[in-house]
Amino acid sequence: MAEPRGPNAAHAGMFPNLRRDVAFPIVGVGLLFGVFVAVGLLYQNSFGGAGERLVTTAMINAIIVLGIQIYVGNTGVLSFGHIGFGAIAGYTFAIFAIAPAEKIKRIPDAPLGLTDVDMGSWGAVGVAIAVTVVVAVFVGIGLARSGAESGAVAATVITLALLFVTHEVARHWPELTGGERAGLSFRIGGKLDTRVPIYLALAGALVLARLFAQSRRGRLAKAGREDDLAARAMGVNPMVQQMIALLTSVAVVSVGASLKVYETGSLLPEDFFFFFTLLTLTMLIVGGRNSVTGALFGVAVITVGRELARRMGQDGFEVFGLGLDSEPLDWIFRENLQTVFLGVAMLGFMIWRPKGLLSDWEFDDWLYRRFTRTQSAPPVPQATMSDESEARLEVSDVSVVFGGFQALSQSGFEVSSGEVVGIIGPNGAGKTTMLNVITGLVPATSGQVRLNGKELIGTPSHEVARAGLVRTFQNLRLFGSLTVRENVEVTRLVAIAEHDDRSTPETDVLVAAAGLWDHRDRRASELDYGNSRRLELARAAAARPLFLLLDEPTSGMSDTESLAMVEQVQTMAALVGAGVVVIDHDLDFIIGICDRIYCLDRGSVIASGTPVEIQADPAVQAAYLGSSAS
Amino acid sequence: MTELLQNLIDGLGRGSIYALLALGVAVIFGVMHLLNFAHGELITVSGYVAFWTISEGWSWYLVTPVIIGTAIVTSLVIERVAFSRVRGSSDFTLLLTSFGVHFVVSAIFLLYVSASVKTFSEPGWVANTFPVGSLNIEVYDAVVIGVTLVTLLATSWLIQRTMFGLALRAAAADFDTARLMGVRSDTVIRGAFALSGLLAGIAGVFWLMRSGHTTPTVGITPMLKGVLAALIGGLGSLRGAVLGGIVLGLAEVLLRSRLPDSVASLTEGFVFLMIALLFIFRPQGLIRVAHAERV
Repeated sequence: MAEPRGPNAAHAGMFPNLRRDVAFPIVGVGLLFGVFVAVGLLYQNSFGGAGERLVTTAMINAIIVLGIQIYVGNTGVLSFGHIGFGAIAGYTFAIFAIAPAEKIKRIPDAPLGLTDVDMGSWGAVGVAIAVTVVVAVFVGIGLARSGAESGAVAATVITLALLFVTHEVARHWPELTGGERAGLSFRIGGKLDTRVPIYLALAGALVLARLFAQSRRGRLAKAGREDDLAARAMGVNPMVQQMIALLTSVAVVSVGASLKVYETGSLLPEDFFFFFTLLTLTMLIVGGRNSVTGALFGVAVITVGRELARRMGQDGFEVFGLGLDSEPLDWIFRENLQTVFLGVAMLGFMIWRPKGLLSDWEFDDWLYRRFTRTQSAPPVPQATMSDESEARLEVSDVSVVFGGFQALSQSGFEVSSGEVVGIIGPNGAGKTTMLNVITGLVPATSGQVRLNGKELIGTPSHEVARAGLVRTFQNLRLFGSLTVRENVEVTRLVAIAEHDDRSTPETDVLVAAAGLWDHRDRRASELDYGNSRRLELARAAAARPLFLLLDEPTSGMSDTESLAMVEQVQTMAALVGAGVVVIDHDLDFIIGICDRIYCLDRGSVIASGTPVEIQADPAVQAAYLGSSAS
Repeated sequence: MTELLQNLIDGLGRGSIYALLALGVAVIFGVMHLLNFAHGELITVSGYVAFWTISEGWSWYLVTPVIIGTAIVTSLVIERVAFSRVRGSSDFTLLLTSFGVHFVVSAIFLLYVSASVKTFSEPGWVANTFPVGSLNIEVYDAVVIGVTLVTLLATSWLIQRTMFGLALRAAAADFDTARLMGVRSDTVIRGAFALSGLLAGIAGVFWLMRSGHTTPTVGITPMLKGVLAALIGGLGSLRGAVLGGIVLGLAEVLLRSRLPDSVASLTEGFVFLMIALLFIFRPQGLIRVAHAERV
């Protein structure tokens, strides 16, 4: 991904809106932190020593869960491997932090002279982060490659394999890890006498998780989470975003894992394996994996629930001090009830509420909406942009063969800035295939696609988009759980980084120009059909393309809506100074909007010319008008 | 040379079991896009059934059909209780649902039986060998390879030549279109779970014969082998799953016998490392499955 450059890009920076994306999140997260800690201290004061341990554990678990949330929440890829990363960090931390005098007793023959290393806890945390991040780079490459090829499922299996590798190595490499039974124990300094490092780490994890989600990177990652293919078509490379999310996330998990080892005072392979994976993932999904507030809430809910299950498993109902006879319920209140509790919680939430209690609700976002005056009038579009540069797209001799089927043969068209060119043809004529070839989604068997003389065949989708060709999708591929504004903003962020020499209209201007002002804060998935189409258009325009490629923008629309669409496409194209290529079989729409028209039939261009010429062309009438008789 | 041949036969025996497990995983992935992390629970449940029946004095000849039946019924029950409720959900939901099923099943045994290892006697012939030339072939390996071969042929016939198989293949290619063409989704999904249970049951008999014990988490290892083998072969490909299982079995046996003694206990770690490398260089697995996405 190209780094932001130039004055306009620097202006955009890491955060699109400092007040919304930095100030409010920090305040919101600070309040959450305060509530979480206050509740913990209250509990601890009423339950004493055992309560203190529970609260400390909850805070450390929260750090690890927030770390996992950074990856899972923003990329949408389920990872079982983060506890494996935790194991790597935990062992690294222990091996570097334990004093040589202690290590000689457990691991006298550690490789690389690690027995003699004496570093102290702070340095060891640093090493733990570094080692884990390096491992994560390699795992991340595997995740990205297999994920792109076989989807998120393959990535998940790789993370599961990582969990098992770390466990196997920990069990079977006693020279390094102390093995399965003895493990490593942590005696220097004993338990943490002060909670300060834990408070700091928890606050840091909260801030980092929240700021990452609001940052440019986080927003691009979320676009990929919502729709990988659409994100690519808008110029986002989800692989890069996933890698950055992974490394950030793993760094936070490393800190949490180190604290866990320090606090527990010992380390066995089982400590970072299936049960801890179940515990942390349940916390994450019960609260709501897409939300930082949710992750923290989930930690609280599961800690309380698990503690209740544990106490009931031990003492039946006496925990309430009521002394009820628990005999008849013996079959359920047993020792291992907490594992059942976690498993059932995970299963139940997946079946009945897969997005968790809070879904993607964020506390600071709620605050921001309450305390920011909403602008009631839609912004008036600024004067339309003049074309600084003349751009030209030439598609020539493109052929595509699917199996034995010739979808396109030797077809092409040309379009220049300021023009609106239409491609018509009956179903199966190859219109959408043409767009797919141009945008790099379908490989051409032969042919050229040149933008200002530069060959684009073989260029990955996201680079085609950044070069200036951005499309809409006939079957609607919006970023469903993002709002209308966020949908537009994501593409705009890519545009700002890429086209630093040209100004890009504000998000709100684009939203208003698309006629979506009243829906600006609704989720894209809640929009009706016509508005979804208009949002597709606005989102593509926000990329500030040289050419907008529209795939059946009026499909499924009524006649009046189609007519309104003519005007919207023209406004939008003028607003961002883009030429337009539009595919449709709504002839009135095409004739109303196009300067020139190409007619495709069975993969070949059978006619081209002005709308008047096309209407009069006998070949077009036979192939298209004749068959659809509109 | 002799050692290599010996390894190949051992690896084929081990790989056969993995192939049966992987095929069960792949069949369900085909119809539901669910990668079943609860596949090993079929063996956990079977393990306890084996323990109870054998301690009652049943012979393995009687226990075998009971185990296979148990695995089929368990598979159908899990589908009914959990998976039928999340049909068509996102990958994320499906994966975590199966993960949750794994924990609930193993926790139930933890709660109501115990965490301790339950052992039962293996059939007497498991450790027997017979010589072929300079090789020493285990009766067990021979039986495993033979039965697996017959099972795979029968499954192949079922999938290629029967109406159910046709429905299964149609559903795997395009579930929605298959439904429009009159394939009943309930029938095909339950059929897939029954088939998957049958395959896991046969694999489970072999697995338990050899190990002679069960615990609440005994299913994790076979689950992992099955899932990894299916992924190595190429997710969604049935032939790939069988191939992946055999490759995984051979790789394990060959590595274990070739690695120096000092690191032999890390064999599993090396196998995972090789799998990771495979995915970096060939992310689609051994057999690529075309999955077109409409845009």
